[in-house]
Amino acid sequence: MTNLHTHSLGLLLPSEWMIGEDEVTVSYRVSGDRIVEIAQTLLAFESRLVWIVCTEAEKQEGYTLWYVFELQGLKKFVVLVLDTSNPISLAALYPAASRFERAISDGFGIQFSDSLDKRRLFLHEPYPEDFHPMKKNYKNAPIIPSSHPVLYEFRSMEGSALYQVPVGPVHAGIIEPGHFRFTVIGESILNLEIRLGYLHRGIEKLAEGCSIEKGVQIAESVSGDESVAHACCYAQAVEDVLSCVIPPRALYLRALLLELERSWSLLSDLAGMVTDVAFSAAASRFLILRETLQRTCERLTGSRFLKGFVMIGGVRHDIPEEILREVHEVIAYVLDELKQILAWTLSIPSVIDRFSTTGVVREPLVDPLALSGPIARASGRALDVRCDHPYGLYKLYPIKPVTRMTGDVLGRFELKGEEIITSLSYIDDLVTRMPGGPVWTEYQAKDGYAYAAVESPRGRTLCFVKIIDGSLDRFALSTASFCNWMALEHAVLGNIVPDFPLINKSMNLSYAGTDL
Amino acid sequence: MNMNILSLFLKKPQVLQVYNPDPAFESAGLLLKKEIKWVFGKSIAIREVDCGSDNAAEIELANLSAPHYDVERFGITFVASPRHADVLAVTGVVTHAMKEALLKTYEATPDPKFVIAIGDDACTGGIYQGSYAVVGPVDAVIPVDLKIPGNPPTPVAILEGLLGLMRSAKKG
Repeated sequence: MTNLHTHSLGLLLPSEWMIGEDEVTVSYRVSGDRIVEIAQTLLAFESRLVWIVCTEAEKQEGYTLWYVFELQGLKKFVVLVLDTSNPISLAALYPAASRFERAISDGFGIQFSDSLDKRRLFLHEPYPEDFHPMKKNYKNAPIIPSSHPVLYEFRSMEGSALYQVPVGPVHAGIIEPGHFRFTVIGESILNLEIRLGYLHRGIEKLAEGCSIEKGVQIAESVSGDESVAHACCYAQAVEDVLSCVIPPRALYLRALLLELERSWSLLSDLAGMVTDVAFSAAASRFLILRETLQRTCERLTGSRFLKGFVMIGGVRHDIPEEILREVHEVIAYVLDELKQILAWTLSIPSVIDRFSTTGVVREPLVDPLALSGPIARASGRALDVRCDHPYGLYKLYPIKPVTRMTGDVLGRFELKGEEIITSLSYIDDLVTRMPGGPVWTEYQAKDGYAYAAVESPRGRTLCFVKIIDGSLDRFALSTASFCNWMALEHAVLGNIVPDFPLINKSMNLSYAGTDL
Repeated sequence: MNMNILSLFLKKPQVLQVYNPDPAFESAGLLLKKEIKWVFGKSIAIREVDCGSDNAAEIELANLSAPHYDVERFGITFVASPRHADVLAVTGVVTHAMKEALLKTYEATPDPKFVIAIGDDACTGGIYQGSYAVVGPVDAVIPVDLKIPGNPPTPVAILEGLLGLMRSAKKG
């Protein structure tokens, strides 16, 4: 890992432009006419545009855009800060920018010039056309749905052999709502367009003006099976602003919960994948392990989803030694059983037949679409926030990323299996060397802003908080699913429609975590 | 008894670790089985609709079919279409974008039908009260017969809720 200023990037971004540095980011103020040029040069550094955050400018009229870049081999994210009201779209250079820009256009009413896609993203037909909820002068209140809705236009395809299959928002299974529009030729998928936003609950606006403590609850409710990851990410950002250092035991307990959440979450993915190829015997055995872990979660924190345990300054309560010893026993059982089921599943030819070469995410897609998590790692890229931008306990005890090269469903299945084994072994290690002491520390209110990054079970989670007068002025959270949904649109091409559920399940992306 | 002599040479089937069933869940399940028989004849079919949940309630509902709970033995099935359903299980606060889909699902469900709201957000609106993006709790859009609070409710709580629903249906 290189220091930023010895990095050749120093030539591109002179140090006098630097306006701030926190745990995970270095920010530079750039002028509006330079942004495209700088973004273009950054492409040469194997960079990914992982997020664009918008805030209202503090003193003058207008908006501030925060472009968050991740550069290969650099521990900190590079943030380019731009004050502007009529920005230029970066979608042609960084395709991932398109959906971030659409979200900003919805929220703040800013139009990006040269943008490739001007359709609304999370605001559906019921919202009036000039409605922009994230503006500061808009006070959160129930709205009257628009009586003349502007219909959303799907990409159109024409041809005598083509037909369309619309699916959702209410699906056949017990899953979240989203709309999938397939264009099919014969049996194989020619195009897939995913429309989300059905679960838009206005979380970012809701957090405005809340106390920093209430923010934890809001972050937890973004997505139920990533609640600890989101709560930790938010807490880390706030603690960075407050310059609050949490006690070592709290650090261990948070890592314990993060890895426990990853394990049970990924176990449901494995169960889902084998269910979709009609191998329900293995699915049942995976689900037994998942339930065992969820019961352990309840034993540790009182919640099967580990909700309400993370707090600003530490965790809510200590976990006694005898319960931690139980964790050790549970893990030994789960690890042993898991290895058996994995070996068994991978010895069944019909499973391999369905998994192998299905739903391939090619490695060259990873950077342009800013993919992360198991999807990127199964396509041969060792991207893992825990290793690339270490936080919490991972600074002291690094964890090794697992990778697979194939990028297909089989790759993701094997990878997720191995990640659970790695996570559980990590937990097993850390419960034996957990230090004593307090689990919470007091903190002083302070204003400022900060970023934080966490690896959730689905990948890179970023959080931005800005605190003014002790309460939240801006809370923004970007989950891995937001970018990873684009991987699904590409992975299904050329596959047959009946393989779609399997490919979807192999990624298991969050709808709620995308819509906020 | 007919038995293939050769089977003696087969390996004994592996015995998986046995787990203890949850007594509260088992007793609620058995009572529910009787009530379902009384009200619906044999079984009830549930269709789940997510209108703004964070996915935790969906995970618990899906859990009901997993081996530790396996509610099909009590006569409860989850179906793919509202046209096959007796009960709609609605989770989450109703967002503006999902209101129409919820109404259509409700209309597609044949009478007699019951609606249960699952989770705090579905019951009261929870932390989303007053947000621009929500219409309100489920009963702001369609009539609700039963509310099961929780964040999310546990499988036992969901089953006990269903028991309450069958009992009130019997009286009504």
